[in-house]
Amino acid sequence: MTAGRRAWAATAAAGWSLLTVRAPAAQTTGTVDVGLSTVRYDGFLASGAASMTPGVRWERPNGAVTARGTYLRFESGHRSLQGSVAGSFFTPAARRWRGEFSAAAGASRYVEFASFWHAVGEARLHIIEAERGAWISGTAGRASYGSAPRGVLAASAGAWLRRAALTLRVSASLSRVGDTSYTDVESSAHTGWGQVTLDATLGGRVWSRGGGRGMYGETSAALALGERMALLLSGGRYPTDPISGSIAARYFAAAIRIHTAAPRHTISRDRTAPRGAGADGAGTSTSARLEVQVDRSRPVRLVVHVADAIRVEVAGDFTDWQPLALSRAGGGFWEVVLPITSGVHRIDVRIDGAAWIVPAGATRAPDDYGGDVGIFVIP
Amino acid sequence: MTTRPVPHGLRSLATAGALAAVFVATAAAQDHPQDPRLGRLDAGARSLVAVVIDSARAAGLPTEPLVQRALEGATKGAPGSLIVSAVQRLAADLGRARAALGAGATPPELEAGAAALRAGAGTPVLAQLRRSRRQTITVPLAVLTDLVASGVPVDSAAAAVLALAAGTRDADLIDFRRAVERDIALGAAPTAATAAAAAGLQSTDATHVNAGARDARPGRP
Repeated sequence: MTAGRRAWAATAAAGWSLLTVRAPAAQTTGTVDVGLSTVRYDGFLASGAASMTPGVRWERPNGAVTARGTYLRFESGHRSLQGSVAGSFFTPAARRWRGEFSAAAGASRYVEFASFWHAVGEARLHIIEAERGAWISGTAGRASYGSAPRGVLAASAGAWLRRAALTLRVSASLSRVGDTSYTDVESSAHTGWGQVTLDATLGGRVWSRGGGRGMYGETSAALALGERMALLLSGGRYPTDPISGSIAARYFAAAIRIHTAAPRHTISRDRTAPRGAGADGAGTSTSARLEVQVDRSRPVRLVVHVADAIRVEVAGDFTDWQPLALSRAGGGFWEVVLPITSGVHRIDVRIDGAAWIVPAGATRAPDDYGGDVGIFVIP
Repeated sequence: MTTRPVPHGLRSLATAGALAAVFVATAAAQDHPQDPRLGRLDAGARSLVAVVIDSARAAGLPTEPLVQRALEGATKGAPGSLIVSAVQRLAADLGRARAALGAGATPPELEAGAAALRAGAGTPVLAQLRRSRRQTITVPLAVLTDLVASGVPVDSAAAAVLALAAGTRDADLIDFRRAVERDIALGAAPTAATAAAAAGLQSTDATHVNAGARDARPGRP
């Protein structure tokens, strides 16, 4: 079986497993990353590439399965195809200890002459506390560079520490693939605030026999652009991975991530595209975003952002459902200050006398009248 | 099928009970004249809504949410029958919330509880939340409702909120909800986003450093 067929087979197998497994707490999400990158593989000239990376992830609280494929088209016209499936499942905790079993398989193919595949299994033993933890692991499997498969053996140890929104991790691993051996030491940091998530990795191949040496580091940023879209920026240098067959390279990549719809529920959190109709049956396509500004010492300020409007009104349980015109605050913002009590409140917005709609930023729920209503909470 | 005759004494008792209920409702209605805001409803709906409100008042349930639900229908031009059934349904939800949260529940808690029940949370979850937290549980209930709205399965959302409610301030719970939203926006499955944001839950960070996750680095060509 060729590496390309193995890649598709692995992805198809993962997809089938996602279709057949049913568990009440399990969820499946899909993403597609579409982007551009510039990459310089060691020993090759720099090249631009366009990429598309579909991925699907099935998650339960005790584990996850991820399947990803990457199609790369270089400026030379050559193409690369990669596919991988990885799954990881945790055993129930025994005091502070927890076991983990994982498996990963993947394949890649570049033009017609380079093809790789690998299949490995790993067992980890975690010791977990509230803000820190550590693990040791062992890996075994097979990998092929287009020739006879070679054995894979690896051992690693690591630790992590969390401080507020920052998670730090360090690890060391010793790997052997056929007659190639190497030792990597790696550290990483993960943090996020608002709509941004940052990751950074710094590592070094401190010893090697046939696997190259040197420092490497990567950083990536993800900026949420809405409910189903994010901007990804990443760059740096990564080392040769004799297991998966990837060659060391420097790169910079920018991509847009689009992810599939969340499961439908009777109510939904609406952040981006308010639509709706009241009992009058009318609809609207105009966007409005609600922001509730709460300061315990002052009345509540309701701010509604509408790109283009002449008149913006709100109605809710805090106005006895009488329309209340907002004041224009400039820059597309409209506002009103009201003494709204602590608790859960219902609100709708009307723009230029059209139908009542649920503003983004409020939770959308059925209103019992054939339409929807926005819900927000005042602490 | 045979019908067992009802003893005369029991029948008298039932009749007396029904008369007493009517008396109480009538007395309550006299004590609390009809809310003038209900004048926005048509006459038929107004009288029926007033009966539901009087019954709720007699049962010790908050009536303002019921008035507001009726006014919402009036503003949206809903037919009177729809308004009456919406108010009746809310009254029933408030009653279920009060049964789960106890007689000491505040009106905002009951309203938030009714919304959580409507979202799919069961009454045992509400009762557990009540037991787990001394302070008001209005915000935890609202966060629970919000998580479900974000696509988190009810059982996962309830587990996370229950785990956090006892020792977490309202502001932190709202931050928690925002963190879940952010992670979902960045592509995480709602269940995993909830587990990751609920700091202190077992395996939260183990899943960040797991072996399966290492093949998911984005952007690398």
